[in-house]
Amino acid sequence: MDAVTYPKGEVVEFLNKAVISLRVPSDAKPLSDDFNLKWTPMLVVLDWNGKEHQRTVGFLPPEELIPSVLLGIAKTHFDLDQFGDAIKVLDRILSDYAGSSAAPEAVFLKGVCGYKNTHNPTPLKEAYEKLQATFPASEWTKRALPYRLLP
Amino acid sequence: MGNTIQWETDYATTLKKAQTDKKPILIDFFNPG
Repeated sequence: MDAVTYPKGEVVEFLNKAVISLRVPSDAKPLSDDFNLKWTPMLVVLDWNGKEHQRTVGFLPPEELIPSVLLGIAKTHFDLDQFGDAIKVLDRILSDYAGSSAAPEAVFLKGVCGYKNTHNPTPLKEAYEKLQATFPASEWTKRALPYRLLP
Repeated sequence: MGNTIQWETDYATTLKKAQTDKKPILIDFFNPG
C-alpha cells in the first residue's frame, strides 16, 4: 500500500477530502485487540461515533481503494438510515469506478436503498436486472435473484 | 490538500476530528515490519 496505492495523487486527494485517516501499527494495543485484528493490511471504515461499518483485508491497488472506501461510506449512511446520502455515494462508484470490484455490491445496495427510501420494490428488481446484465457471475447477482420475481 | 495523506496516529484525536467534521473514519492497520 505504501509503495503503490498511498502515493497516488488521486488517492491522497480522495482520502484527505472524504475521511479522517488513522494509521495504526498491527502491534498497537489495545486498538488492534478492540478490532480483533488478525491480518494486515486491514482497512476499517467507522462512522463519526466510532462504530464499524466495513472492513477489508489485503492489498488494494489505487483503482480499487477509492471505490472500496466509497462503499464503506455508503454502508455507513445505509446503516444510519441515510438512504439518499448512500445512493449519492453509490452512484459515484457506478459512474466513476464502474469496473471496480465494489461495483456489483454498489448496484445491490443501491437497489436496497431505493426500496428502503420509497417502499417501492421497483429499485430491487432494477438492481437484479442491472446485475444480471452487467455482472452475471457476481455473487451479488445471485443474492439479488429473488428480486426478479417482483412485479 | 498537500501531496501526502494526512494520517492521524491517535484514535481519540481521530474520533474527535471525525465528530467535529461529521466525516467517516478510515483506519489502516499495517505491519510495521
